[in-house]
Amino acid sequence: MEYLLSKNVEYVCECGLLKPLTNLYFCRHCLNLRCFFCCHHEVDSHFCRNCLENIPSGEAKLRKNKCNTCFDCPSCTLSALSARATTIQVPMTKEVKEGGEGSEIEASSGKMVSKKMYYLACLACRFSSRDVGISDQPSQNFFWPEQEYMHAIRFNTILNHYYSVVLHDKQLKQEERRRRSTKQSKFPNMTDRTGLNVSAIRRQMGFDKSAAKPKSKPTAIAPSIAEDVDDLPEEIFTQPINLKNITTIQQRFTQPANQPESVKHLYPQHKNLSIKRSIRCRHCEHNVIKPEYNPTSIKYRIQQFASSHVPEVRIIKCDQLVPNKSALITLKITNPTMNDMIITIMDLPTEEEEKMMIEEMRKNFEKNLSVSNKSSLMRPSLIEDSRIVSCKITAKLELPDSSFVINQRDDSAEFDDDVQSDKKDPKFILWRKANKIAIQLSITPNGELKVNDDVKIGFSMNFTYSSVPSSTPEKKETQRYALCARIYINAGKIVQ
Amino acid sequence: MPLFETVFQEKPTIVLEIGSAYSKIGFSAEAYPRFIISTEIESIKDVLKSKEKNIYDQTVDFFNKIFFNYLLVSPKDRKISIVESVLTPTIIRECFAKVLFQHYEVASVIFLPLHLVSISTLALDTALVVDLGYKEAVVIPVYSGVQVINAWQAQPLAAEAVHDEIKSNLILNGVKEEILSERIIEDIKVRTCFVTKMSRALSYRNNEQLQAAPDVEYPIEGSDVIKIPGLLREMAFEALFPEDNDFMGLPYIIIDAILKCPVDARKELAENILLIGGTSSVLGIKVRLRDELRKLLKSDIYKDRLYIDDVKFHSAPAKPNFTAWLGGSIYSHTDLISNSITRESYFKHPRIPDWTTYDSSITRSQG
Ligand SMILES: Nc1ncnc2c1ncn2[C@@H]1O[C@H](COP(=O)(O)OP(=O)(O)OP(=O)(O)O)[C@@H](O)[C@H]1O
Ligand SMILES: [Mg+2]
Ligand SMILES: [Zn+2]
Ligand SMILES: [Zn+2]
Ligand SMILES: [Zn+2]
Ligand SMILES: [Zn+2]
Repeated sequence: MEYLLSKNVEYVCECGLLKPLTNLYFCRHCLNLRCFFCCHHEVDSHFCRNCLENIPSGEAKLRKNKCNTCFDCPSCTLSALSARATTIQVPMTKEVKEGGEGSEIEASSGKMVSKKMYYLACLACRFSSRDVGISDQPSQNFFWPEQEYMHAIRFNTILNHYYSVVLHDKQLKQEERRRRSTKQSKFPNMTDRTGLNVSAIRRQMGFDKSAAKPKSKPTAIAPSIAEDVDDLPEEIFTQPINLKNITTIQQRFTQPANQPESVKHLYPQHKNLSIKRSIRCRHCEHNVIKPEYNPTSIKYRIQQFASSHVPEVRIIKCDQLVPNKSALITLKITNPTMNDMIITIMDLPTEEEEKMMIEEMRKNFEKNLSVSNKSSLMRPSLIEDSRIVSCKITAKLELPDSSFVINQRDDSAEFDDDVQSDKKDPKFILWRKANKIAIQLSITPNGELKVNDDVKIGFSMNFTYSSVPSSTPEKKETQRYALCARIYINAGKIVQ
Repeated sequence: MPLFETVFQEKPTIVLEIGSAYSKIGFSAEAYPRFIISTEIESIKDVLKSKEKNIYDQTVDFFNKIFFNYLLVSPKDRKISIVESVLTPTIIRECFAKVLFQHYEVASVIFLPLHLVSISTLALDTALVVDLGYKEAVVIPVYSGVQVINAWQAQPLAAEAVHDEIKSNLILNGVKEEILSERIIEDIKVRTCFVTKMSRALSYRNNEQLQAAPDVEYPIEGSDVIKIPGLLREMAFEALFPEDNDFMGLPYIIIDAILKCPVDARKELAENILLIGGTSSVLGIKVRLRDELRKLLKSDIYKDRLYIDDVKFHSAPAKPNFTAWLGGSIYSHTDLISNSITRESYFKHPRIPDWTTYDSSITRSQG
């Protein structure tokens, strides 16, 4: 079981990073592994995780990526606030009698009626909007009073000021340029000698409307004034403090504008929106992940997880590992596709070969780039520099002496428990079961390993891959490809 | 605001200040950052110890979080402003540029010097900016809109020093080291400690008997309760005011920065001090600095060299920990500095200009 959960089998992404198969994507167009790191990410759609409302991105921007209706608890910062109803007795007014709510207050005959009022409360901690002095509201979808920002006006004045300064500066420079260019004109006109030029004369005569336009002046601003500093309050040295009333830094940062120090000022915070993201292969610009728009759906319009294209390797069993002593390791390989696969296990490339592969990939990419540049308007992405795999092999693996076939996935055979064994199969194959196969290989940990050192083996796995037919004309037919995945396995630790 | 909406149709610039402890992230022309989050690039704290590749990957991951989990924007073809100290190691600046251009394909990146942009929040063009962050206290005077770079002072007198003080003190008091995680130490600092009065600090130093501030019973994750002695609450921040023969405490480096400026600039700088960085939000720090500086002005070492009578402090329209970010928000919106690096120029010359070449072209910041 431990083997199933842990990440001890890792695949080499084309960018050179090692990832478990479940964390990898497979680009059907490039026929290569891709990962979170080397793909291009994009915001696909905005939604609220709490009310599951979809918010068009223009609107999300206006709302500063916050949900209008949902609030986060500012106290425990972990859960959303929910509206709770209470019933209060109010004097009956005309409005209430008519069944509406309104401002007209005309108490009639002192009769009392009950009315529902709402406040916000946290189910995880005991925070409530009443704690911070927000009065109950007549409707749960009511606009809860927004917190004011004390520096808002000053900030706008400063921003306006600098903006007008820069605008003014630009205008001055433009004018300067205009003046210079008329002075250096190739066709000096007669009035030049008198120090006047055409545009100056026009201006004097009141012809030039544009020059008459009032120049923008920087808006005035009162610079900040250094004030006197407050002394420490004397009671700080004598009065005990109550930790419960003082906010933590996490609570302060949920309200970056105010960062309140007292829990009395912890205001309910509009919930931040979330996004669905699409992930794109940088080599060909095709999506490997494209989520569905509907926020309640966890499905994808496009999903190219490597685990549904590339054979999966797992460790089933491994003997005790001792330096320089051969041990048997049993691996299970699963074919996730609807086509039979021929698999060949080979040595990993040497570092030299790895460097050459990286170089070749780079060249290919650049070639494609120059081709696609002509045909498409979209600027192709850049790719990350590929890296040499950082993992070092610490044991020798005896390779199987022949290729073998793994049957296609057959959903109807899923519950077939029969273990098939084929007389013709080579010795290293322990058993077969539908689209799964178990193989046994021998490994010899290196001599210099110490107790508790990890024993790492690795191999290249060549497999045949049949493309899924797609609607594009040139890919109508199933095509067979020979692909290769590089796999690193942590077989376990050295024991005495 | 309506004035801008017509002129600025384009998307707002993404403004980032990646501190060694906390990052402030948001958009230009906004009055405060959208988020303040922990910086998840370990090596920014100890950059020289780690390999560059490592910083690159960590930066890619952290920026992915910033763009897709917090700001919710695709960074491709966006403008980015990075607010940072002029003392930021080049290796980090180059790493950020590479990540942004190569991995995220942004349209342009501009590096805004933190001390310079901070004073735009005051609508001033001269001030002495003191950044008390997590790793260091960095003092840089800005005079007539130009940083007086050669007057800079930096010492490891900031949050980290205070945290070390609290930790070692509590361990001395018998608290188990395992329970004193960085988070708990910070929480103790933020919720119980303050900067004590100069007179009291002096008395403690001379071993006079004082009634210390009340102790605090501090529960750790519900189970254990540890005692935070009142003396520690008062003295934790004394780490910023070390009294030794090196004259390296906070007041000294502020005075030294002023001393390195031309004589006719000194008075104006001393009367326009701006404290920024999260550590300056602690209770009592301004008044303590005022008193310490006043004392130094009258002391024998400085009396005849400074010609300053008093010091004065400003309050920016921001919390200290995002004052610099706010300056970045203003600068990014108005193009007060226009040397941004575009994608095209980066790929022609993947070099990030040095600060010395930067400052000369700064437009005046006051009309
Ligand atoms: N609102 C606040 N109240 C109390 N303490 C705060 C507050 N904000 C920040 N701090 C403290 O200030 C310290 C420094 O925060 P800041 O955000 O300035 O660091 P930084 O910018 O990451 O550091 P550096 O500038 O050295 O890279 C933090 O350790 C934090 O404990
Ligand atoms: Mg900082
Ligand atoms: Zn990858
Ligand atoms: Zn919602
Ligand atoms: Zn709560
Ligand atoms: Zn592709």
